[in-house]
Formats: sequence, structure tokens, C-alpha cells
Amino acid sequence: MQCARCLADTASVVAHAPDGSGAWEMIYCARCNFSWRTSDEDQYINPARREQIFQYEGLDLETLPTVMPIAPLRK
Amino acid sequence: MSTRDFREFIGKLEQEGQLVRFHEEILPEPDVRGVGRGAVDLGPTGPAVLMDNIKGYKGKQLALNVHGSWANYAIMMGMPKNTSLKEMFYELARRWDRYPGEVKRVNNPVCQQNVIRKNINLYEIFPLFRVNPYDGGCYFAKASVVTNDLDEPDEFDKTNVGMYRLQVQGPDTIGLGALPFHDLGMHVRHAEAANRPLPIAICLGVHPMLSVMACTPIAYGKSEYKYAAALDGAPMEIAKALTSDLDIPAGCEYVIEGKVLPRQRFPEAPFGEFPGTYSGGRNQLRIQVEAVTHRNDPILENMYTGRSWSELDTIIGLSTCVPLYQQLRETMPEVTAVNALYQHGLTVIVAVDNKFGHYAKTVAMRLASTPHGVSYCKNIILVDGSVDPFDLVQVMWALSTRVRPAKDVIVIAPTPGHPTEPSSDPKGISGKVIIDATTPAYPDTTGPQYRLVDKVENTEIFRKRIVELQQATGR
Amino acid sequence: MICVRCLRDSANVVAHAPDGSGAWEVIYCGQCNFSWRTSEEEQYINSSTRDKMFQLEGAALEKLEVLVPVPPLRKR
Repeated sequence: MQCARCLADTASVVAHAPDGSGAWEMIYCARCNFSWRTSDEDQYINPARREQIFQYEGLDLETLPTVMPIAPLRK
Repeated sequence: MSTRDFREFIGKLEQEGQLVRFHEEILPEPDVRGVGRGAVDLGPTGPAVLMDNIKGYKGKQLALNVHGSWANYAIMMGMPKNTSLKEMFYELARRWDRYPGEVKRVNNPVCQQNVIRKNINLYEIFPLFRVNPYDGGCYFAKASVVTNDLDEPDEFDKTNVGMYRLQVQGPDTIGLGALPFHDLGMHVRHAEAANRPLPIAICLGVHPMLSVMACTPIAYGKSEYKYAAALDGAPMEIAKALTSDLDIPAGCEYVIEGKVLPRQRFPEAPFGEFPGTYSGGRNQLRIQVEAVTHRNDPILENMYTGRSWSELDTIIGLSTCVPLYQQLRETMPEVTAVNALYQHGLTVIVAVDNKFGHYAKTVAMRLASTPHGVSYCKNIILVDGSVDPFDLVQVMWALSTRVRPAKDVIVIAPTPGHPTEPSSDPKGISGKVIIDATTPAYPDTTGPQYRLVDKVENTEIFRKRIVELQQATGR
Repeated sequence: MICVRCLRDSANVVAHAPDGSGAWEVIYCGQCNFSWRTSEEEQYINSSTRDKMFQLEGAALEKLEVLVPVPPLRKR
């Protein structure tokens, strides 16, 4: 299904409410690592309402800063 | 005085009226966040909150605000819950010098009463919540993360226990927010240079002193376990992890064991961080989870992190002050106290007696060049040794009556800064501002001589009597 | 009597405890305008124990700052 944050078709249901109540599902996007609970507030999980500054639409994820540089391989 | 583990500490908080049990049904989002924010907004006397009726997670226990108030911190120290900040500061400083404390190895630790190795689904095991509305997912925000230096795996003191943010990314993978200058960063670097996965143990619901040490900057070769033991006045009980050689706290509530995948990075964040702002998206480390162990009837301990003042400020507050105080006093014994409570030491108030004109300004320079001061201590305020730097009313008085703008405000820029700090621009570059609010000493003069109004000597007796009278009115 | 602050012989008793208890008297100096109650703490009303910085002996009284200067007379 569509990711609420990066809008790619890379999200799927990964968990259900463990008490069996069916209260919510957890959806996770394997591309940008965003996840959301279906019971969360609509303004934060609806791509049409989320604040633009937090969206990843069209963002090349490779360009996110790599805060932990990868050390050269030791010989 | 000390408690053995997190479970005992929860019991002690409850005995002292510093823990409430929340049985009403609430949603994971947005309600748990509301509980966390609400509890910490109660201020220095607020309680921890233990919830057990989160919709979809019914029966699973979640504790917030365990370190959220100075009253709770005092109880952790084994002191009366209304102990003043200044007294706790001096007591912590006194115990600091007791390092190293002892560790005691335990077999069959209670944290391994239950073991899950298959079909691990973190969202279903743990009553998680999205801490801030625009965080990238659910976070473990109060974990003590254990790693070893793979180049020196037998060096116990080089084991690192640190508090790092952890983003759940799928049923059994976790994003790890590390920075190169942290000890974890060094462990990762050594492992990745050898193309080896780094074993990691995420410990939740640990002894409250260990949580404090996990977010305290200490020297690389020093052990957080031994510091926690020294501060607590009792040995720390540790045990071996199941899937690696790591030493974990024996009595903690949960342990997530796994490996940091070498030489790969994955999108992580945002997360509402210590300055009260969201950090931006990063490409960060990833942990592959291999096992989850836990006590019977486990309690997940988590932390609401948001705009100051929040639980994070309380837990790191005094242990940020003490190392700076110790380091200053090595060469400047005139320093009487250090208040570095504000945003992990971004603003610091140092109490010091001028031994000669403008001495306090050099104390500020020494602070700015301590290991923590280099990138954190930005606003440095100096007050007299007789002013309580933890009493902001007194500090404001000093600023009002002692600062001579032309002589006592010094800006030094550019200097290193903390990249997550919003005013750091560009990231990692900042400056220092020294505000000297001390009384001038010879040969510096202040023009006309003023004498301070003296302390009222018999005030204690009358204060107590007035309180008695007020209580007797019954209103 | 001697003023405890400026040491001039210009002080007098000006009041007694009004409830008739005789608990104290108030003494006032007409030169430097200081006053004190006989029941106050010894260190503040004894000229040999008072802090020197607060005394107005000799020329010190004349040298007190005039915060509101006397303006020149207006010509009619």
C-alpha cells in the first residue's frame, strides 16, 4: 500500500493489536522506514494532511545525511 | 538506601507517594504522549505513571516519568523527596569520587525468565507509542544500550552502556541513532572496519542509577556499571546475554538482543530531541533483532521527550553538572557550584569567588574547553560563590545588579557547536557568550562601594512558626 | 546624648513604649537624623560595635551626596 510519508507503494501491515481487540494495525514502509498505527490521529497519518516539511515525496533517500560515516575496511 | 533493580525502585516510588497507577483505557496515540507530557508538567514533585490499559495492548504495563521529577530523583539517591537541588548536587559530587563501585555476576538472571527467539514482532510485544507527532515511528527513548569494543572484548571497562534513540522499523529491525563522537560510535567504527556485525543488547527498565549513567558523558575507559554501583552504594548485578558475550543488567525488565548490520545505512528519524526540536531525517545504523527476553509481568519503561522541561532534562541534569564541577575545581578551587541543567549544559551558571579582577571570566574559558564544554557550553553565566546557581531568582538578581555591559559581556565566535542544537549555524558551529555577574575584585572596581543587605539570622524559627499557624487555619 | 552614628552630642529620647510597659525608648539625633530603639540588637546601636562603613563621623556628614541639586533662583 501507499506510504503516508514517501508515497511509494512500499508499505504493508506488519502488526495487529496483540490483545486480540482488533483496535488497530501497524503499517510499515520498507523503503523510508516510516510506520504508523491506524488509530493515530488523521492529521499525522493522512498524506493529504501531513505537514509538507515532514514528507519524503520525491526525496532521494540517499541524500539524507549519513551521520555515522562508514570507516574504510581494515586490511 | 539503594534498591536492587527497576522493579524494586517502582515499589519504592509507590511507597513514597511518587507513583500512580493509571487503569483508564487510553489510546497509544495521542493519549500516552499526553500522559507523559502531563506528568512531567507537574514539575519537581510529579509522580511516575504506570499504565496497563492501553487500547490494543491491554494488560501490558508501561511506565513513564520514572525520572521525571526531582522528588523521584531524590528517592533514587536515597534522600528525602523534598531535598534541594543544591544538596543533591553536592551529594552526587561526593559519591562521584567513590568510583569504581563493584559489579556482581549473576546466573539465571530474572531478565531471562522468558525468551522469544521466533516470530519476533516488536509492535506486538511492547506497548510502544509515537513519542512526538512527527517522529518517524515508535521509539524506545529510555533504553540502555550495551556494546563492546570488538578489538578489546575482554576489557570490561570498555563495555559501553549508553542511552541512544531507537526507531522501530518493521517487526524485527530497529534504527539506531548514533553519533561518531559517542563511545558507541567508536565500537561501530571498529566493527565496521573489520566488516563484522556488532552484537548489541538493548536493555529496558534498568536500575535507575544505570539509566542516569547511560546518559552521562564519562571518559571512554570508565565503566557505567561501576559508576552506577558507586553512586548507588551497592554492587550492580550483571549477567551474560544469550546470543552474545555482552554483560547486561541482571534485573532489568526486557532485553532486546541483536546485531548492528555492518557498512549499511538506512533512513531514520525524525525524532523530537533534547533541544525541543525535531532532528531531521538521517541515514543511520540498523539493528537486526535476534532475541527478546523479559521478566515475568514485565514493565516497559519509556520516556516522553519534548520541549523542556521534560524527563530527559531531569535525568541528565545533575550528572551533567558534576563532571564540569570536578574538572573546573582541579585547577580552580574557588568554584563553589555548577548549574548545567539547561539543555544538557548549553547554558551554564557557575558560582565562583573572584580571587582577583575578572578571574571569573577565565573560569568561563576553562569551562568552555572541558570535553563537554567544547561543543555544549554556549551561554556561560558567572555568579558569586555565595549565590546559589540553582536558584534562578538569585541568578536573575546577580544579572540585574552585577553586569556592566561594557566590561562583562564577551562573545567568542566561531567555536564548535552541537549539530542538533537549532541555533548552531552551520550545523556544528556556534560560539560562546560569557556573562560575568560576579562582584568585581581588586584591581577591578565598581565605582561606589555597596554593602549587601545581610541574611536575616532568626528567620528559620519564624518561618516554621508561620507555617504551623497557616496549617492550623486548615485552609 | 551622643548619637551612636555621627558621635555628635545631639541625640535625645523622643518616644516611650506607648502601651506603658516601659519596654523601650526611641532616641533621635537632630544632626544626622538617625534614630534607634533601646531594645534593638547591641551590635547595631552601640557605636563601638557598629560597622564602620555605616558611621557618619566628622566630615562624612557634610559630604553626603545631594541627589536633587538646589536650582538657581528665577529672576522676576
